[in-house]
Amino acid sequence: MPGELADEGQRRAMLAEIDSSCRAPVLFFVISGLAWLLLGTLLALVTSIKLHSPGFLAGWDFLTFGRVRPAHLNAVIYGFASQTGIAVTIWLMCRLCRVPLISGGLIILAAIFWNVGLTIGLIGILAGDSTAIEWLELPGYSTPILFFSYALVAVWSIITFRLRRESHLYVSQWYLLGAILWFPWLYATAQIMLILEPVRGTVQAAINWWFAHNVLGLWFTPIGLAAIYYFIPKVIGRPIHSYYLSVLGFWSLALFYNWNGLHHLIGGPMPAWMITVSVVASVMMLIPVITVAINHHFTMVGHFGKLRYSPTLRFVVVGALCYTATSLQGVANSLRSYSEIVHFTHHTIAHAHLGLYGFFTMVMFGSLYYIIPRISGREWPSLGLISIHFWGCFLGLVLYVVPLSYGGILQGLAMNDATVPFMKVVEGTLPWLKLRTFAGLLMALGHVAFVGNLVWLLARVFGPYRKPVVAILSGTETPAIAGK
Amino acid sequence: MSPIGILLLFGAMAVPVVALACLRWAAKNGQLQNGDRGALLPFDLEEPLDKATDQILNRKSAKS
Amino acid sequence: MKYGPLLFLGILLTLASSWVGLVLAPYKQLGGLLPNPATNAVGVVSYFPEARKGEAQQGAEHYRSLGCVYCHSQQVRPAGFGGDIDRGWGRRRSVSRDYVHDRPVMLGTSRTGPDLTNIGERQSDYGWHYTHLYNPQITSKGSVMPPYPFLFEKRRIGPGGVSTNALKLVGEFAPGDGWEVVPTPAARQLVEYLRSLKSSYDLPEAPLPKAAGDAVTATAVQ
Repeated sequence: MPGELADEGQRRAMLAEIDSSCRAPVLFFVISGLAWLLLGTLLALVTSIKLHSPGFLAGWDFLTFGRVRPAHLNAVIYGFASQTGIAVTIWLMCRLCRVPLISGGLIILAAIFWNVGLTIGLIGILAGDSTAIEWLELPGYSTPILFFSYALVAVWSIITFRLRRESHLYVSQWYLLGAILWFPWLYATAQIMLILEPVRGTVQAAINWWFAHNVLGLWFTPIGLAAIYYFIPKVIGRPIHSYYLSVLGFWSLALFYNWNGLHHLIGGPMPAWMITVSVVASVMMLIPVITVAINHHFTMVGHFGKLRYSPTLRFVVVGALCYTATSLQGVANSLRSYSEIVHFTHHTIAHAHLGLYGFFTMVMFGSLYYIIPRISGREWPSLGLISIHFWGCFLGLVLYVVPLSYGGILQGLAMNDATVPFMKVVEGTLPWLKLRTFAGLLMALGHVAFVGNLVWLLARVFGPYRKPVVAILSGTETPAIAGK
Repeated sequence: MSPIGILLLFGAMAVPVVALACLRWAAKNGQLQNGDRGALLPFDLEEPLDKATDQILNRKSAKS
Repeated sequence: MKYGPLLFLGILLTLASSWVGLVLAPYKQLGGLLPNPATNAVGVVSYFPEARKGEAQQGAEHYRSLGCVYCHSQQVRPAGFGGDIDRGWGRRRSVSRDYVHDRPVMLGTSRTGPDLTNIGERQSDYGWHYTHLYNPQITSKGSVMPPYPFLFEKRRIGPGGVSTNALKLVGEFAPGDGWEVVPTPAARQLVEYLRSLKSSYDLPEAPLPKAAGDAVTATAVQ
């Protein structure tokens, strides 16, 4: 390890430098992520409306359901979630390794490439070049650009990890390193074996779901858990419930999660052993899920009062609860008897949103509430907009997931009963689909409030500032925070 | 059994053995000691242990 | 825990395990599957599933490009598991060999619409398919499938009278006096593809039920 700083003034200066060095690169990823979030939300609303009003915007091929839906998915997954996740990863890495961000220009270059690649890919999907392989729809001519960008971020992360000034590692760093090393392997395998040089037959399906489940389990989940493990203790000022439990939680997740994917093919044309292996691994996920749940929720015990005043804690705790819920739901979904009913229904869509929205997105929102004031040196200008953001997203989430999960079960039961005409099954889903559009509007309201607040924060030339960064850099004592 | 099957079988058996060996090494090497130090890593001079941060929705108190 | 290399090693080994188990092993087991030879009554050998040719193959590209897979599955679950066979979506379960020609394999994960594994056998009428694609409300009132007007051309009826391939549209869906609606090549290819979707051949690992025909007589489209 490079030498640890002994002098207190130097250490304070270093802390300030870590945050200020993150400013441009992290903000670049955050802003582009949120731009994709707005576009993704718009595409989501169009998709949702089309499912109960099929004539809506049906006149153009580039706006047909089968193109808008993958465009939505890829905009939010690779545009919003991945870029925001990378932003949070970068900041957490710098903070936990105790090193200022090196080569910020490289990170910005990576972000530019990521956005260019994704824009090309998304236009490709709308123009009809989608691969129709779920979670991998981006056409083959756009993904190498994304991969190059990702490689820059990964190399940067590993170098930062090697330069760390702190010999001990925190839980979050294990998860972040896992995510950074797992993702390129997953992505490269899927791209090569499915798109560049496709394998034959149902091997494609196996690889497709090995990838698609792992991009959740080994890319988004570790980043989300890393953020929860950092921000809950950080906001309440207390360490996590059990450090040793977190070791168990990490290694059991690493061992079991990556075997889960093929439970998506239950009932499908695959040899039974492949599906059975995944079902077993999915049930084994109870170990990391319960371990992590104990650790997160028990850390909070006695500190629920702080939820009232901290937007970070609110979003992150909701995210942690959703992680537990979506994981338990996921275990249920992987059982043959339950999957027989809910597979192929809107229940799966609700489950995916509980995971990616309820868990990951909420945790990312919470993280940004913490990170942005610290790297920009400015406070959030409007507390009212924060409340609108939280309640819009939270109520939208509940109204989305709970009714659609229930409606999906009804849909599945009806579909398995061959005496029910198929059109009756379709009719039965309509109320839930309409409610989903309403829920989506609430979420959209929250997103607009958040982005509005951020634009306001960045556009304000005068205050409210947090700290005079220059004074800290020169090593003098931090003065009281300059308020409004 | 095919050679690949035998290889897979031995591979599967090797996983727990390697895992146990790693655990033993980690325990003997002190990797599992002083876990509390690791647990305190999120805290620093500016935002130390026992100080709640981000209480910005509390309009009355000072921001942190 | 503070030893970086151990962490690296663990991270790589854990994913390597499932890469071997869920990528390499399926590749070894299924990647070399070939169509099954079958000899008919007069001794001609053909191979099933058959590769798609011509317009049907071009239609698969439209099926992919228009994202049909997001609402329609192409897999029949085994008897007793779900209602697939009872609904008449197929006479036998789907197996890996059914997909050896498909690029990409579009098994689908959603049944917002019905399964299409066997749509070619269940519905072979060109007119039905064209009308349904032009506007599903005509053939299937209450459907949530979007209309695909851009796969059709609305044009003035020529001096030779109404074209032979014009859609027979009546009432509120009629294009108006002096106008006709005809399928574009894309619509024609897509319908050829849909008509080619059949799993009505025997495979050793998934034979058709003995009383073939009985199982499907009672089933209508959808």
